[in-house]
Amino acid sequence: MPTRRSFLALAFATCAMLAGPATVRAAVDDPGRFVTTMAQQAIQTAASPGLSRDARLDRFRTLFVAAFDMNELGRAVLGPYWRQASPVQQTQFLDLFRELQVLTWAGRFQDYSAIDLTVLGVGKSPDGTVAVETVIARGAGGQPIPVLWRLNKSPEGFKVVDIVVEGVSMAITERKVYFSAMQSLGGKIDGLLDIMRRKIDQLKA
Amino acid sequence: MNKKQAKVASRTLAALALAALAACATPPTGDKELMAEFEQTNDPLEPTNRVVFQFNQGVDTVVLRPAALAYRTVVPEFGRDRVGDFLSNLYAPLTFVHDVLQGEMSRAGTTLGRFVMNTTFGVFGIMDVAAPAGLAPHSEDAGQTLGVWGAPEGAYLILPVLGPSNPRDLTGRVADWFLDPYQHATRDADWARWGRTGGSAIDGRERALDVLDDLEKTSLDYYAAVRSLYRQRRNTEIRNGKAADSITPGLTQ
Repeated sequence: MPTRRSFLALAFATCAMLAGPATVRAAVDDPGRFVTTMAQQAIQTAASPGLSRDARLDRFRTLFVAAFDMNELGRAVLGPYWRQASPVQQTQFLDLFRELQVLTWAGRFQDYSAIDLTVLGVGKSPDGTVAVETVIARGAGGQPIPVLWRLNKSPEGFKVVDIVVEGVSMAITERKVYFSAMQSLGGKIDGLLDIMRRKIDQLKA
Repeated sequence: MNKKQAKVASRTLAALALAALAACATPPTGDKELMAEFEQTNDPLEPTNRVVFQFNQGVDTVVLRPAALAYRTVVPEFGRDRVGDFLSNLYAPLTFVHDVLQGEMSRAGTTLGRFVMNTTFGVFGIMDVAAPAGLAPHSEDAGQTLGVWGAPEGAYLILPVLGPSNPRDLTGRVADWFLDPYQHATRDADWARWGRTGGSAIDGRERALDVLDDLEKTSLDYYAAVRSLYRQRRNTEIRNGKAADSITPGLTQ
């Protein structure tokens, strides 16, 4: 079972997503720096007081979309059902998926304001993504949490495609969840889109 | 295992067997990719599992979660860390047994060193003094050892009250009743056995409060999310935290 500490790691990892597009370009050739810079910027953003919830969400959305390959993630998450969807459904799905992820991660990060992230190494995964191995330190006496970042390199710079916290991959988990939801809906994409809309309303409430 | 426990265990197994007969998940037909995904999910008892999962959720809502919340409210973080250290020290002998069974002698040495240091300088384990000294904690159980030995996990299983499992981990649970030195040391002290079990349950639930609340709130299918999380966590534990695929180091572009 995941622990409260891995949740903190998730939350901290989220903070790290708050990088602006400018940073992404600055760190275009160094994946390790890309991840660390994101983290530092995240803290500054997270610490900026006086913003309303909506304003903070807007800001988060911009940063999140810039740092994450949401289209790639969305396609991967829908898996075998992706090509069964019509182009219109695909677009709708990606829009809803992006919003759901933004709300999910915005909620996770909001209570935290400090991160101590160290890059252990950078490598290449068999699937061609760049893997950045980091640890996030915890407070007094806690063991550091290993967090692996998987990045794709795009013309605009690196984009995160997966975060693996203590061996748990966000992308795999989401993929499994969406597959399961599609199974119980008998493969109906429109049913899934409805559920996603309801979830978004719930999270916004 | 005494008679009473054996009786409970056999009844639980019988109930599970009955439940298993009651319903099976229907595999998707036709599409190869869907079939592959379905087989990978390896949850043929899903309808039954979901019922037991719901039951467990009920138990959690009424008993375990409130207990964990109360524990968090009453005991400050420092105190909870001491309880956690103390409990995990009680599991160190079991971890040592499995380090050896897995042939991980260096890790066995770490576990032994930790146990000695923490039990003495750490005052019966309440202060993990070994970790800051460079001996990082880890935990092992029979389920992991079976995994290291190459036993397949089998179909996903939700146990009543105990939660996510699979035949490999269930076998491990039973085996650990016999293997755990703590169980032998406390043969005549039921309070010590149940104290550790109950304490670990509340300690573990308190640690999981935020992540599970968050997962339940944000997930499209909480059951499926927990299933995936459980599997990934166990596989990582079996690999002793190493990455699932080999990462070629040294690349910076």
